[in-house]
Parts: sequence; structure tokens; C-alpha cells
Amino acid sequence: MKDKRMLGFELVRGAAAILLALAVGTIFIFLSSDEPFTALRYLLIGPLISIKGGLASFNTQGFYTILAAMIPTIFTGLAVCVMFSSNQFNLAGEGVVLTGGFVAALAGIYLHMNSGLHAVVCILIAAAVGGIIMLVPALLKVKLGASEMVTSLMLNYVCMYIVLHYLNFIFADRSKGSTQTFPFAETACIGSLVPGGSKLSWGFVAALVFVVIVALFMYRTRWGYAIRMIGINESFSKYSGMKVGGTIVLSQVIGGMLAGIGGSVEVLGRYSTFLWKELPGYGWTGVTIAILAKNNPLLVPLAAFFIAYLNKGCQLMATYCDVPSEMIDIIQAAIFLFFAAEQFLAGYRQKIVVKNTRADLAKAAAAEGGAE
Amino acid sequence: MDQNDLVVQMKGITKVYPNGIAANQGVNFSVRRGEIHALMGENGAGKSTLMKILFGLEQPTEGEIIVNGAKASFGSPTAAIAHGIGMVHQHFMLVPSLTVAENIVLGMVPKKSGMFIDFKKAIELTNEYAEKFNLAVNPVAKVADIPVGMKQKVEILKALIRGAKILILDEPTAVLTTQETAELFRELVHLKEQGYTIIFISHKLNEIKRITDRMTIMRGGKSMGVYETASITEQEISSLMVGRDVILAVQKDTAVPTDVVLRVCNLQYTNEWNKKMLDGVSFDVRKGEILGVAGVEGNGQRELVDMLFDLREPDSGTAAVNGKDVIHASQAKIRKLGVSLVPEDRMTYGIADAATIEENIISDRFNEKRFNNGPLFNMKAIHEESDRLIKDYTVLCKSRKQKVKMLSGGNIQKVVVAREFSSDPTLIIADQPTRGIDVGATEFIRKKLVDLSRAGTAVLLVSADLNEVMELSDSLIVLYGGKIAAYFEDTSQLDDVMMGEYMLGLKKQSAEEIGRVCHEG
Repeated sequence: MKDKRMLGFELVRGAAAILLALAVGTIFIFLSSDEPFTALRYLLIGPLISIKGGLASFNTQGFYTILAAMIPTIFTGLAVCVMFSSNQFNLAGEGVVLTGGFVAALAGIYLHMNSGLHAVVCILIAAAVGGIIMLVPALLKVKLGASEMVTSLMLNYVCMYIVLHYLNFIFADRSKGSTQTFPFAETACIGSLVPGGSKLSWGFVAALVFVVIVALFMYRTRWGYAIRMIGINESFSKYSGMKVGGTIVLSQVIGGMLAGIGGSVEVLGRYSTFLWKELPGYGWTGVTIAILAKNNPLLVPLAAFFIAYLNKGCQLMATYCDVPSEMIDIIQAAIFLFFAAEQFLAGYRQKIVVKNTRADLAKAAAAEGGAE
Repeated sequence: MDQNDLVVQMKGITKVYPNGIAANQGVNFSVRRGEIHALMGENGAGKSTLMKILFGLEQPTEGEIIVNGAKASFGSPTAAIAHGIGMVHQHFMLVPSLTVAENIVLGMVPKKSGMFIDFKKAIELTNEYAEKFNLAVNPVAKVADIPVGMKQKVEILKALIRGAKILILDEPTAVLTTQETAELFRELVHLKEQGYTIIFISHKLNEIKRITDRMTIMRGGKSMGVYETASITEQEISSLMVGRDVILAVQKDTAVPTDVVLRVCNLQYTNEWNKKMLDGVSFDVRKGEILGVAGVEGNGQRELVDMLFDLREPDSGTAAVNGKDVIHASQAKIRKLGVSLVPEDRMTYGIADAATIEENIISDRFNEKRFNNGPLFNMKAIHEESDRLIKDYTVLCKSRKQKVKMLSGGNIQKVVVAREFSSDPTLIIADQPTRGIDVGATEFIRKKLVDLSRAGTAVLLVSADLNEVMELSDSLIVLYGGKIAAYFEDTSQLDDVMMGEYMLGLKKQSAEEIGRVCHEG
């Protein structure tokens, strides 16, 4: 009964956060646009419904585009879920996505294998590299007590400049006008799931498979259990006899592997050469997604869909109306604020708590009275 | 009594924290002008919460506050300070890198030509108040360099200079040496003579008797009444504080202790404030017996338990379970040796509050083969184990999936105990196993403890509840000032009065008598 009340509260709180964030976005749209209603239409329903000559129709290609955009962010969302679950605020997903994509690209260009095997090997190499990169903030934290937030944040730029160095000076295809590598071997590319230009590759299926694997790992294995318990109460875990340091390192390495896979699947599924010249942003989005999903892997696809939908809507709005695409940042920031704000609707929550406690006390008093 | 005499009145104060704990339930509290009023109670009785409400740090869920005859509501400490209320926290709120004078004027800095800090004025002001209230401090010393006793004076001056007429002192003697305590008491009496009102939070009986006029005693979030210090005995106070009148008799056979399981030799420990908390503690616990550790809180019990479970390192000394060192072993290793701990601080060590009952029950055994099928958990075995323990330990809950933080204190402790008692331990360390929980759960846990010891488990029972240690223990040691003050091989002939004398340091046994706690073999 009272658990239901609290669950209901969490749902109301989540929905209220999203609605309020959209409301904040709407205010800015009205402030910045001459045609706010058209802009809102593109933002809210544009991604899936196209309107031509007054007729609304479901936009299948648009739907595929959204699903395709979810591929890297599901992986980074899962990565952040695992890392945050051990209460480590690790932000290096961004750099790992870039590096993972880069090493997978190199493996796709310079290794020669059968199709099928080749892509898998590229992805595995990216996973290994991602795991190794995450060892840096994890070991610095566990061995020396260095804040993982600072080291992981800085690590993103270390990754970026190392990748850019090798891309610019060693692996660039000099015959091209822009900085990019040679094309990947056919065997390394991840095939399309549907026809058309949506870039929806088999990577999407892989992402969903990983959602299940990570959920199983977190909720049905001893390692996932230890990671979650350490995240909830480290003192308790230590006292219970868990290997706290080793488990924290494990969770960061697994997060790194997932982010590395995400980068490689995105690169091999969407492009034919490696051409990222800056941090792609999927790591940051992964943080947003993990927070929206409350570190629950099964909710990651939902959160990823929500973010992808919002991104697409903002793109459309920016393309067809006079609203700048930076609007997405405002709305995301607003959602973030409302979600992350512990005190949001705290008064309402406190009322529920007081009510529950009163009921408990009354029950206890009745039980005591009955015993005497 | 003249109502105008009451400088502070708190009526029907109820406070429910966001985690659902009702720390105050309809508490009435009032203080007369110019008295030293003690607020007594055990840890968790709700004293600090009540004072935080008075000082504006917490908002009451219900109830009203009347200061100087007028209704008041303090949204923040600033509002409380404006009404002449000052608080000295147990953990000092000072800036270590600033001087004493700078700390004292922080937030109300005297200015020169409107924009520069007038350091000279700050020092003058500090000296003026220090002299007036007889609180000697060195205004130019850095706070980081001054002793604890002086830091406390700085805190008191800080409150006075802001116009406090009512001073709340939260366990002011907890960090002080005996000499510093005596000095503090002289200063407090001096303040009282000048018409200041002092609220003194403590759970040390002897101090309260020395300097207070009246006292309010709290237990379990409720007020147990207001008493004149002169007309209440220490025994009465203690029974009101801990509810010793409810004697729960536990049936138990005579212990037949056999081999030594835990052997502790000459533990020494000095804490971070350079206070010697353990001074040459040695004892044995044997298979099949319950050894009680009695004592007023803060006499080394916590440090002792922490050392046995690798939560702190001693300066020197050894401790071994069945001959194997536990001082330098990890918790995992200590648990492998068959040691279980029911921790004093159950919310920090005993449970993961946002996890389910089931997840809390398996925390020490989830690695075992019987709960795993290859890489995956054997959920069926885990469900069976948790359902069985929930049933055996009568944990009142909706299901094993319920979050532990939703349970009552007694049921949370039952979850801890269910885990710690069911791992087939050779030694159980039970640290305040029944503190703050209801009568039913208390009785249940005590009975389990006796059953386990009779089945051959060695039990070390640490408890500030005198009735509990005397009832449950087969033999008993008393800790006072980090040393063993007494050892009683047989607890059946003990009486409270004699125990109290040892616990308060009035009496001490000879080294030879105490030495008998270390057995042969």
C-alpha cells in the first residue's frame, strides 16, 4: 500500500519533470519564434508525423532515423548505468566512444577477414580498448583516492587529442579533401536493417540484445549485485565482506567496454570511413539517459528513444522554422534540473511520508495496546 | 509557575524525517529564564532533532515554538539567532585557517571606511567579550592551532557576540578532557549568574547532576517528563532514559564454556583528537558463553568493536579468532573465520537501505556456490533462503522485494540479525543489538542470542543497556576510560548499584581480579 504510494509518487514526479521541461522549452520558443505554433508542431509531432497539404501521415523513414540515432546512445546509456550503479560519477564515456570508434575503424581498414567475423573482431577490439581506458580513472580512484569525476572528464580530452593525432598524421587518406581514414573493408561494415537512407543498421538489434545482457548482469549475477550494493552503501558492502575496490574497477571497465562497443557499432554501421574530428557527444547523452532511466538498463531504450525523438524534433524545428537548434540544450537542461533536483516536489513527498509514518505508529500503538 | 518565566516553550513538536523516521512525537519542552536545563536521553532519543528545530536547522512537521512569550517560527538559524538563540554544535563550525577573532566576527565583520575589514576592532571585540564572560581565548591564534577546549570557547563567544541569551550546547563535553570539562562548567555557571539560559544536551549522568537545575528526559522520540535535578537520583534518571523498568527476563541454562574463540591482548588506541580510547584491553571469549561488555557510552566500546572487525587499526595489541589474526585481516577474511557482527550503527553498516530485504539478507553469502548457477544467480535458492529467514526471524514485511528503508527500526534490525545469526558463526559480536527497537523485536533478538550461545557459539555482547548486559551475559567486563574496570565471572549475583560504581569510575578491581578474564589454553 505505502510502497505503491511511493511508486506512484516517482511516476508523477517523472512525468511532471518532463512536462515542466517542455513547458520551459515552449516559453523559449514563444520568445524566439515568429511562428511558435508551427515550431511546436515540428518539435512535438514532427519526428513521426509528416503533414503534407493538410494530410497527416506516419513518417516511416523518420521513425527509422530515430531508431538509428538510438544505437550509440543505448550503448553509452548502458555504460553509464553500470558505472553510476557503483556510485562512480565517471564521465569518460565520451572519449571512449571516440577511441572505440577509431580503433574499430582501423581494424576494419587494416585487418582482413571473412564478413561476419571481421565486424565482430573490430567491435571486440573497441570493447577491449574501452575497458583499458576506463582502468585509468578507476585505478586512480581506488588506489589513490583521486576523484573519478575529474580524472574521467579530463581523460575525454586526452582520448580526443590522441585519436586526432593518429588520424591527422598517420592514418589520414591524403587523397581526400577532408581529414578521414581510408574506407573500411566491406567485411567490417554492419549491414542495414531496413532499406532507405535511415542508417538503421543491425547495430540496433545488437543494442537491444545488450540491454537484456546488461539487465541480466546487473540484476541476476553476483557481480552486478555487488556493484549495486556498493553504489547504495559502500560501508555496508565492505562490512559484508565484498571486495569494494575490485568491484568498482570492474564496473568501470564494463562501462568502458560498453561505450567502446557503442562507438564501434556507430562508426561501422553509419559510415564508410572514420571522420569524427571532435567528441561525438554520445557519452554526454548517455549520462542524460542513465539519469532518466534511474540506472535501470531496461529503461534505457525508452530514455534513448525520448532523447532521440526530442533531438529530431529540434532539428526539424531548426530546419523549417526560425528557432535555433540550441533549443534542444535548453529543454534537456530543464529536464535534467527537474529530474536531478532531489527537492523537486519534496513537499508532496514529505506529506506521503508523514501519512505513512502516522499509519505505522498508529498500527504499532494498536498492536501494543492489544498485547497488554 | 509564572508563564513569563519560561523563556522557551515548545509545544507538541512532531518531526518526521524524509526517510519516515518520527524523531519527535508530540514533545513538550520548556526552559526557565536563567537556568541550566539538561536535555537527556540516549543516542537516537530525539534530543538533537528537537534542538535543531529550536535553532531553525530543521522545520517541525507539527507543533509550535514560543520564545519570550511570543509565537515564533524559525525558517533558518539566522531567524533563531535574531531571537537570541545560539547553538554550539558537537562538531565545531569554525574555519581552521582563520584566527580566533576572525572566526568570531565572521558574517558581522567590523568595517573601516565602509569597505575594509577592521582587524584591530575584531580583536578588541573578542577581548572585550572574552573578559566579560570569563572565556579566555587568544584572538590572534589560528583556530587550527588551538586546543579543543579553546575552540569550544570560541564557539560560545561566537554565539554570545551575536546576542544569544539562550545557549544550546550539544554534548559539549564529548571531546573534552576532565580538566577542560571542569573549566567549561565553571564558565557555564558564570554565564548563568549573568542571567543567561543554557540548554545542555548530554547523556552523562554525573555531569548533569553537577551543573544543571532541571532536566527534560527523552526516550524514543517522546518526552519522559521534566524533573528538578536536586530531587531525582541517578538511578531514576537512568531508568527514565533507557526504560530499565521493563525487565525482560530471559530464560537461559548455565553456560558451559569450553575453548577460547576470541583472544584480545593489550589493545591500545588513541583517537584523532589524541584521546586514549583503549588502554591495554585484554580478554577472552570462550565457546558457549556470552561475554558482556558494560559501560557508559564513549568508554572505548565502539573502538573495541571497530578493531575486531577491521574498521579501525589499533596503535598496538593483538586479537585472534581461533588463533588467527583479525586485526590485519579484511572483513571478507574475518567473515571466513566465522565472525558475525551486529553493528551498532545499523543504517550505515547493517543495511543498504535502498535495496530489498532479500538483497540485504544475502550480502555476506551471495558468492556461495549454492546461490549461483555458473555466472547467473540461482534465484530460486536465493528466494528460498530469504523467505526462510524472513519467516524464522519474523520480519514483518509485505514481501522479500520490499525496500529495507520502508521497514520499522525493529524489523530492520531483524533483517540484520537474520543475516548475521544464520551464517553458522563461531563468534558473534553483537553491538547494541536492541537499541531503539520495539519490545517484541528486542525479546526475540535476545532469545536468539542465548540460543546460539547455548548451541556453541561464542558471543561478545556490547551494550549500554545495563539490564541487557546483566540479563544476557554469562560473564561480564566493565569498560571505563578505555580500561577494563572490572570482570565478573558470574553475573547472577550482580546488582545495579555496584555495576554503576564501576561504570562511573568510582571503583576499580585489582589487576589480578581483572586478569582472570584471560583464560588458560
